[in-house]
Amino acid sequence: MNAAMLVLVVLLPILAGVLIPVLPFGSRRQMMVYIEGVVLLDSALTISLLIAQPQDAFELFRFASNLSISFRLDGLGTVFAGIVSVLWPLATLYAFEYMEHEGHEKIFFAFYTVTYGVTLGIALAEDVVTMYCFYELLTLVTLPLILHTLTREAVLASRTYLYYSLGGAAFAFVGMIFILSYGTTSNFVPGGVLDLAKIGDRTNLLLLIYVLCFMGFSVKAAMWPFSGWLPKAGVAPTPVTALLHAVAVVKAGAFTTMRITYYSFGAEFLRGTWAQAVVMIPVIFTIVYGCSRALKETHLKRRLAWSTVSNLSYILFGVVLMSPLGLVGALCHMIFHATMKICSFFCAGAVICKTGREYIHQLDGFGRRMPKVFAAFTVSGLALMGVPGLCGFVSKWNLVKAAVADGSTLAYLGIASLMISALLTAIYMLTISVRAFFPAKGFDDASIADVRDPGWKMLLPLAVFVAAMFLFGLHPEPILVRLQAVAALVG
Amino acid sequence: MDAIMILAVFLPVLSGTLLLLSLTAKKRSGRACEKPGREELRSLHLAVAAALVLSAAAALLAAWSGERSLTLFELMKGIPVFFRIDDVSRLFVTLISVVWVVIGFYSFVYMEHEGKETRFFGFYLIVYGVLVALCFSGNLVTLYMCYEIMTLTSMPMVLHNGSREAIMAALKYLFYSMCGAYLGLFGIFFLYQYCDTLTFTPGGSLNLALASGHTGILYVAIFGMLIGFGAKAGMFPLHAWLPAAHPVAPSPASAVLSGIIAKAGVLAIIRVVFFVVGPDFIRGTWVQTAWMSLALLTVFMGSMMAFREKVFKKRLAYSTVSQVSYVLFGLSVLSQTGMTGALLHVVFHAVIKCALFSTAGIFIYRFGKTRVEELYGIGKQMPKTLWCYTFAALALIGIPPTSGFVSKWYLAQGALEAKVGVFGWLGPAVLLISALLTAGYLLPVTTNGFFPGNKVDAASLKKQEAPGGMLIPLAILAGLAVLFGLFPNPLIQFAGKIASAVL
Repeated sequence: MNAAMLVLVVLLPILAGVLIPVLPFGSRRQMMVYIEGVVLLDSALTISLLIAQPQDAFELFRFASNLSISFRLDGLGTVFAGIVSVLWPLATLYAFEYMEHEGHEKIFFAFYTVTYGVTLGIALAEDVVTMYCFYELLTLVTLPLILHTLTREAVLASRTYLYYSLGGAAFAFVGMIFILSYGTTSNFVPGGVLDLAKIGDRTNLLLLIYVLCFMGFSVKAAMWPFSGWLPKAGVAPTPVTALLHAVAVVKAGAFTTMRITYYSFGAEFLRGTWAQAVVMIPVIFTIVYGCSRALKETHLKRRLAWSTVSNLSYILFGVVLMSPLGLVGALCHMIFHATMKICSFFCAGAVICKTGREYIHQLDGFGRRMPKVFAAFTVSGLALMGVPGLCGFVSKWNLVKAAVADGSTLAYLGIASLMISALLTAIYMLTISVRAFFPAKGFDDASIADVRDPGWKMLLPLAVFVAAMFLFGLHPEPILVRLQAVAALVG
Repeated sequence: MDAIMILAVFLPVLSGTLLLLSLTAKKRSGRACEKPGREELRSLHLAVAAALVLSAAAALLAAWSGERSLTLFELMKGIPVFFRIDDVSRLFVTLISVVWVVIGFYSFVYMEHEGKETRFFGFYLIVYGVLVALCFSGNLVTLYMCYEIMTLTSMPMVLHNGSREAIMAALKYLFYSMCGAYLGLFGIFFLYQYCDTLTFTPGGSLNLALASGHTGILYVAIFGMLIGFGAKAGMFPLHAWLPAAHPVAPSPASAVLSGIIAKAGVLAIIRVVFFVVGPDFIRGTWVQTAWMSLALLTVFMGSMMAFREKVFKKRLAYSTVSQVSYVLFGLSVLSQTGMTGALLHVVFHAVIKCALFSTAGIFIYRFGKTRVEELYGIGKQMPKTLWCYTFAALALIGIPPTSGFVSKWYLAQGALEAKVGVFGWLGPAVLLISALLTAGYLLPVTTNGFFPGNKVDAASLKKQEAPGGMLIPLAILAGLAVLFGLFPNPLIQFAGKIASAVL
């Protein structure tokens, strides 16, 4: 397995995606086969790469002495690339059924497929410059996806998204410059690259820069006070909200914070400093804030978006604990939250696509007409709450284990916020399930006579996710062992 | 793999699930709205009865045939889903099985009045299986898992009648329980860090060397667990779900919620305090003081609220709030006698409260009467029912020679013996006041029922005794309430054995 493959898997979807609008497809079916074929091929290549684990780097080109675009696969990248490459083909399949009635499919799928390559670029980036470039690129290629419906709401949402993301990237850029000038190398090295001799007595300055850089990258991970864009971006078609706004884009935000914390600045440099406290406070606040906003929200997709805000901060909480245990918890929740949230979003999408209902109070009795969708939704809700036996419990357990081991007051506060958030999650997820399965007395069944379960293209991904939630929940050990191996290096 | 333990848990769960699935199959064939015919109802009853009796037999067999343990699988490394039977499990499983079967038979008749029988019995069976698993749990994580599943599967029994009020009450039940469960989970995380093992060990397994320096946060965590698991047991401040859930739930559901599921909270607290943390760790600390104060406060407040309440089932719900806190008070003094009394009261209160709720159910089934002032002269109409009620009421008040007297005797004795300062006399005093209040809220139903005075025209009242299918279970429960008081010794010895093992 050659390291050149690393570039191939990044560029293949980008090129294939760009070609979609210009290729003369005979029918919609042909286009579907082409796209799914490309995505599947790329996923197969990526997964075989992840299994082969090539150690060498591949340099695409070099701007200047230490500025280059180069790729390398390491443990952390494996996790993120693994999540993305498994979910993308499933989400694409789902998108085929969903996008049938949305129009502009060619443009949509072009950007959708390009995003795949860009996300992999972030996962496989060898150094901070490459990661930064792809990070910026991610903002640009996902913008048209939010804009897709071209309603006024969509235009405003995409504008908000653009401002937040570019603003965040600017802060991240400052961080990158400092890493370049105070680091021994621009590459990602477990444990960090800072050259303590160069820093001298400027520790506080570096810590300040870390805080700025963390805040900048956490914009994509929708941390308060930068969380406003995510619920607004819910106007995008559901395949976008489900895959990009629950997994690819927002997890890219979380992933980049992991990179700079554990691989550039180094956990040891940061642990126990004021910088750790400064980043931990908004993270803990977001865990509760996201949930309470979700509770207030009556629009189904926006409620799930707020739930994502809260859950992403679970991941960030693991990151800012700045210990190998914390990283295990964070990575674990990164994988499991992807499964849970994409599942609940797909359920919401099935409801919106098949019935046009968007608000929660319109869902009375739906469980009787769409039993499969709402069963999947309930399972994902229970998993998000952290019922033992489902995957959410495992990641929560690991996060809290790290926090208890940390032993600081803020960490304890974080545990309390996780518990409060679990309760709020129970409330905002289960009220929907109860409403759907147990409509109030006197409910008129005829009013939802048109509602029924969607076709196999939507149900298959749901079934896969439900099975995965149980599997991860009951037998997480193989994954945990691998995550522990990744985290052991960064301590 | 221990087949009989697996059978005891999964037989009811699977048969309940099958019942629920049959419901969806029926919906698909478009016959959802039809009322089940007589034949269909009879075969349903037969199937449920068979499943219940078989499961109960399996559970009892598993419990009483020697030492058994079973590791199902590892949830995570070092955290197995582990079941083991000890004396506490035996006590609870026997109690639950007997009550569940008796109330099950009672509901065959009662549920005709509520409808949607298949759904009710489906969940009724599932919850039974989960409760058995809860009793068998051998470590804290397994217990927590069963506890969560119990909440989720028992909730549909509360919202059974589908009114908006019932749904709100069910959600309230769900969220109070969840809030409690998460407080419990918060503690579990800390205990996992500072205990040698989460497997239940008589006397606890807290590693004092590890815990030194972290005792402050551990106390907070343990107190959180007491409050959290106390939510199910109706302890202040998370008691408010009980009076909301009971009036709207079908009577058999109220009966088991009060009699059994509230005791699941007690079981969890027993496991945490006596089998994981160890009583010595909290003896004499603010945690014990706060626990005793909350328990006594709840005893008094529950009785007071019951006394003022006019809706019969709500009155009984407040009574549960008060009575289960007797149990918690008995545990909180951390003495052998107190714990013996607590365990006795677990059993007696379960039996008595199920009898009382069954009576309330009969009144609703026959006459649709839900308020106490509607019950004047009811003794003329159904004397046997009211006699059963009266015996159960006397037992709850604690008049010798009924069962309640025995448990309260031990509770008071335990408080006096334990070195708990002011609580040594305050506890018994509050128990006494609460007993008076109990008499005050239960006995008027009897007196007004038999001697309505001139409120109703006694001559116009015809005898309309409850149907045998409801009266016999009621009589069994009321009979047990009295019999336990006459022959308490085997039970006292058994409870004493449990208490002496952990204290």
